[in-house]
Amino acid sequence: MNKDKRKQKIAFWLFLAPVLFSFFMVQIIPFVIGVYYSFTNWSATAQPSIDFVGLKNYMEAFKDATFLYSTIITSIYTLANIILVNVIAFSLAMLVTTQIKGRNFYRAGFFLPNVIGGIILGYIWQYIFNQFIPTVGGIIGVKFLTENLMLADSKTALAALVIVSTWQYAGYIMMIYVAALQNVPRDLIEAAQIDGATPWQRFRSITIPMVRPAFTVTLFLTLVNSFKQFDVNASLTGVGPSTIFMGKAINGTTLLAMNISNTSLVLRNTALAQAKAILFFVVLVVFSLLQVYFSKKKEVEL
Amino acid sequence: MKKLIILISMLLVAFSLTGCAPKKTVEITFKQNKPEIDAQLQAFAAAYEEETGVKVNIVSCGGSSCTLGDVLRSDYAAGEMPEIFPIDGIESYNEWKLIIDDLSNEEWVKDTDVSFKVDGKVVGFPVSIEGWGMAYNADLLEEAGVDPTTLTNYDAYAAAFAKIDGMKAELGIDSVVSMAAGPGMYWVTAHHNFNSLLSNGLPYGDRSVVDALLKGDIDETRFNEYADWVNLLFTYADNTVLTTGNYDSQVGAFLNQKAVFLHQGNWVDGNLSAATFDMAFAPHGSSKTATDGIFVSAPAWYVVNKDSENAQAAKDFLEFMVYNEIGQKYMVEEAGMIPAFKNITLEPKGKLSKSVMAWAKAGKIFSWQQYNFTGDFRDNTLGPIYNQLASKEATLDEFKALLKKALEDNAD
Amino acid sequence: MNRKITRNILEALAIMLVIFFIVPLFLVFINANKTNAEILNAPLSLPENWGTIFKNIANIWNNPNIRYSKALYSSVIVTFFSLAGITIFSAMGAWVLVRTKTKTSFAIFMMFVAAMVIPFQVVMFPLVKWFGTFQQWTGIPMLRSYFGIIIAYIGFGSSLSIFMFHGFMKSIPLDIEEAAYIDGCGRIKTFFLIVLPILKPIYVTILILNGIWIWNDFLLPLLVLGKGTPVQTIPLAVSNFAGAFVTSYDLLMTAIFMALVPVVIFFISAQKHIIKGMVEGSVK
Repeated sequence: MNKDKRKQKIAFWLFLAPVLFSFFMVQIIPFVIGVYYSFTNWSATAQPSIDFVGLKNYMEAFKDATFLYSTIITSIYTLANIILVNVIAFSLAMLVTTQIKGRNFYRAGFFLPNVIGGIILGYIWQYIFNQFIPTVGGIIGVKFLTENLMLADSKTALAALVIVSTWQYAGYIMMIYVAALQNVPRDLIEAAQIDGATPWQRFRSITIPMVRPAFTVTLFLTLVNSFKQFDVNASLTGVGPSTIFMGKAINGTTLLAMNISNTSLVLRNTALAQAKAILFFVVLVVFSLLQVYFSKKKEVEL
Repeated sequence: MKKLIILISMLLVAFSLTGCAPKKTVEITFKQNKPEIDAQLQAFAAAYEEETGVKVNIVSCGGSSCTLGDVLRSDYAAGEMPEIFPIDGIESYNEWKLIIDDLSNEEWVKDTDVSFKVDGKVVGFPVSIEGWGMAYNADLLEEAGVDPTTLTNYDAYAAAFAKIDGMKAELGIDSVVSMAAGPGMYWVTAHHNFNSLLSNGLPYGDRSVVDALLKGDIDETRFNEYADWVNLLFTYADNTVLTTGNYDSQVGAFLNQKAVFLHQGNWVDGNLSAATFDMAFAPHGSSKTATDGIFVSAPAWYVVNKDSENAQAAKDFLEFMVYNEIGQKYMVEEAGMIPAFKNITLEPKGKLSKSVMAWAKAGKIFSWQQYNFTGDFRDNTLGPIYNQLASKEATLDEFKALLKKALEDNAD
Repeated sequence: MNRKITRNILEALAIMLVIFFIVPLFLVFINANKTNAEILNAPLSLPENWGTIFKNIANIWNNPNIRYSKALYSSVIVTFFSLAGITIFSAMGAWVLVRTKTKTSFAIFMMFVAAMVIPFQVVMFPLVKWFGTFQQWTGIPMLRSYFGIIIAYIGFGSSLSIFMFHGFMKSIPLDIEEAAYIDGCGRIKTFFLIVLPILKPIYVTILILNGIWIWNDFLLPLLVLGKGTPVQTIPLAVSNFAGAFVTSYDLLMTAIFMALVPVVIFFISAQKHIIKGMVEGSVK
């Protein structure tokens, strides 16, 4: 009995070893170093010594109005994204797993936006918001569209961010739903059909529960990736049109990740950026782990 | 088993491809932040290697795709700082001052007026000379009947703008001025345009206004005239370009003759090679008194890493750029820059660059003082304020109030 | 009759949606066939000369400063080995985590998940510093080497992959594995011959999701491999097209198109395996 348990333990660590090693090398160790840096005056540039400053950076982060603003708009953005991306991705997944012709092509098509990033994404969508939509507005006679550019006002620019990042990310999440839908055993569905269940009943009692593991993953991914959003922010709106917050004019669509990057590059305060990033991490990890914990509890285990 | 084979092949590949060849040649690494001249630099480095046997590794990282600041920090963390890299002012100097070498005894110091000096020591090699003013389309101005030599103060500009604006259809333009104040373009408003407040009309290098502002003392007349100038520019600018345009659309409007004036500097010559019209610079009209000059300085300086064992080779390379014909040709003809060194007689081809040189020769130049304010203040505090006025979310009075408060808050 | 109407509606809807999603990619292809001036003036217009893309491709391929063929080779090596590492090692790890119901196992799993939340800025510079230090201590080349970048991708890619495998492995009935043990299969055989094949749709999805990210990634290679060093991936090699002032949009679009083609091919061929992996085998 003991020998078997020991074998199990050895197998456990052996199977985990390669991935654990890489993980420690590139995530854990640098992260611990990064946390240490947040309590110092580390600058990442040439400095005579790295001195401990205790909680100074964290206090500064709490007093930073732009950090508060970024937290607020990032939360709104994330909420909108979670709903929109998952609803669209799931619908698309259902669409491409039916028997319609060309579903392979559609699958590829919906996923393709995820492959372009950076400059080109910004170039294309800025053209759409700044030139294409106003021109169309002019042609069909809707003056509102020609005079109000979505990217010129901070609130509508945020909405534009949601639209573009949904467009870019829905295909990615769709792939996960597709994998889950394909995993639903055919015979279960057929058995239910024979038993006389309607499509809606089949959907509710078989498909949804079997797709639960996917929901854990997709909800987590949309939550975390929306909160961490940087690339679409940088290429579509940049720091964004200005807005008045707490009496000052500040950048209006600077999401949290961009705020942190800004702190590091423009304010040249790398240690403060670290502290902000750690705070960001703590808040998000609490929410996301709670989400995963509760989602996992609801998953089906055969 | 599969994973063992994979692991072994991984290691084999890794080791075979990081193979070491004994390095006998001197090698220096030169990193800079203008990818568009990378090809020219590589060619120059190849020619240099042929002449001197020293290998120069050129790495270009800049624009929107790559941040040189991040690369340098990563290099520092890896213990691989380059021999030569650029700084753009006192803030970046302070980041690296521990490793920046003293260049006061270099040959070229006597041949330039714009080296970067700190505490009496020369530490920066001027990359080039750049300048900005109000770039204008000479052909369209002639058509509109406006004489550019009269454009030296606010009232002249106000009259000219109004006149040209009334002739938009005839001239085939969308707006009088191509101006950008949107996100990503705050360097146009909060760096360059802001500098008009700081040094327009003052002797070169005069810091009186700067020092007063840093203490929170605002000269009301000068400030109000400046704010009116900003408002004038925004009023006659195309709204789309002003609020959401990027660099290409702002310059593109001028290139395609959809605007008569462009608020940029001679670096746009690289984007205007297809232009068919004549162009030059006129002063900024930020004051009611005439300010007959444009803003000229060195935009960046190369510094040498004193901790490198090849620091001397790096200094030799910089000297070669100034005194050897190949170096001069690279700087001026290949890379299209205005040379910062008086011994170089070559002139770049760009029309706006030639205009800058003309103003400089006449001694009608004002200095760049915007770097006395931190990048954070300019980009994150001033930039949004200009943007408020541009998007019409703030009136002119609100703009003035916001700007005043920002300057006062920034004062020590 | 009802079925056919529903199907037709769905098909029409699918076509409209897909156009919305892929029109920007058509724009990339169209613009890769124009000169830079054409692109700046009229991004939506059809190119004057449809052959321009071949000129641009030749330009990029032959450019001595880009060394595209070498970058292509490097990108393929990095992507291939990283994907192999991520998929196999994560699957192995996830499997024992799922099958072992201890507190340790749960904690380790949560650690992997929590790491996905870490903003890259926190670990960016410490990673480079740590790799450099590790290299000094052990002599194993971590920076500017294939080994280092591949380990980095395995490390960063493992979180999502373990997360996904963990979720889907739960839906594999234990009795299949137990049947295998009874038949005399050792743990390793059970894993590779029974469990992994059942998970085909999942691991192919993981290959696609990770593959695309690694193939197009710029930041991690910039830090670990460095720019201008002997080992360059494609995104590093073509990054000079976006200048500080002058952007060569025509070459940029062409480079993106060139990077897209293998991705699309890989995606379409991998699709078959997602569909094929229907769980016919699970009930057996």
